[in-house]
Amino acid sequence: MLEQYPILVAIGMMSAIVYTTRVGGYLLGLQIRHIGWLRPILEALPGCALMAILVPAVRQGNLIEIVAVASVVGIMWKTDNVVIATVVGMAVLLLGESVVGV
Amino acid sequence: MTTYQSFLLGVRSSGGYFISTFLFGVMFGLAASSAGISHWHAMFMSGTVFSASAQFASMEFWQAPLPLGTIALSVALISSRNILLGLSMTHHFDGHSLPRRIVWLFILNDPGVVTSFRLDKAVDRLGYVTGYGVALMVSWLSSSWLGLNLAEWFSHADLGSLDFAGPLVMSTMMVLFAKGSKSDPTPWIVSGLASLVLFEIGTPNYLILILSVVIGVLAAIVRGRLNHA
Repeated sequence: MLEQYPILVAIGMMSAIVYTTRVGGYLLGLQIRHIGWLRPILEALPGCALMAILVPAVRQGNLIEIVAVASVVGIMWKTDNVVIATVVGMAVLLLGESVVGV
Repeated sequence: MTTYQSFLLGVRSSGGYFISTFLFGVMFGLAASSAGISHWHAMFMSGTVFSASAQFASMEFWQAPLPLGTIALSVALISSRNILLGLSMTHHFDGHSLPRRIVWLFILNDPGVVTSFRLDKAVDRLGYVTGYGVALMVSWLSSSWLGLNLAEWFSHADLGSLDFAGPLVMSTMMVLFAKGSKSDPTPWIVSGLASLVLFEIGTPNYLILILSVVIGVLAAIVRGRLNHA
């Protein structure tokens, strides 16, 4: 059983870290915004970070998980519908595991 | 368009992600309950952290004694994309006081930022992203609460496969990025390929993140110079 104090410390620490990253990036951007050639770099950064997190995560996935991501990407690309894409992806994960037993 | 109108536009535009956030919030409630977190601690976490990926990651280490350093590192690495999101919005939140921007950035959220790139210039981006974030916060809190209370019903089921929910959400965002942004996608593709290579040669996760982003940025610089040549 976890004690109350460390739990509150952990949650407080998590919220501080997440908020710092949200504000920190913006404040950093304010300092370097006038450097014109940086703008295309700033626009490229979020996509690069998402890919850098997403690709290794998918690579570590099993067959069902990779199929789930492929389904989500395909449906999103065709329909732009986040709900359908997410529901199908989750269904593939849940049903795939029980059917295939991966 | 006024800030208030943009705020309402953000709330209205959040429909799709409101529902998907709700689904993931229910799963977080279930995961938190199975990790032994009390209802009010889980709700406190959802209200103050407001980050699905960071909260799911922390669940992996939630056991006595709490490994605070490991939790901090995992949350920092996963949340590092917020730095880039904040950076990318630097040119878009002008016209508001700095204190307002700093307070409202608490609710900065990936889908709101990503979809804001598609908007007409007349829309107030800070109002839009905040409205989007408030809607997602409502969805996240209510669904976390529901998941916590549904936990007993699902106690017999194996929901381990839903650990992969994070990459699913990120892949929807990546498609939105690719289709909605006017930016050249080459740096993103290069970054993804670099992360794959780095992963295959056994590079630690934090280095994969740093090096892949650096390589993607280098690609952006090269593309920019080629376009201007």
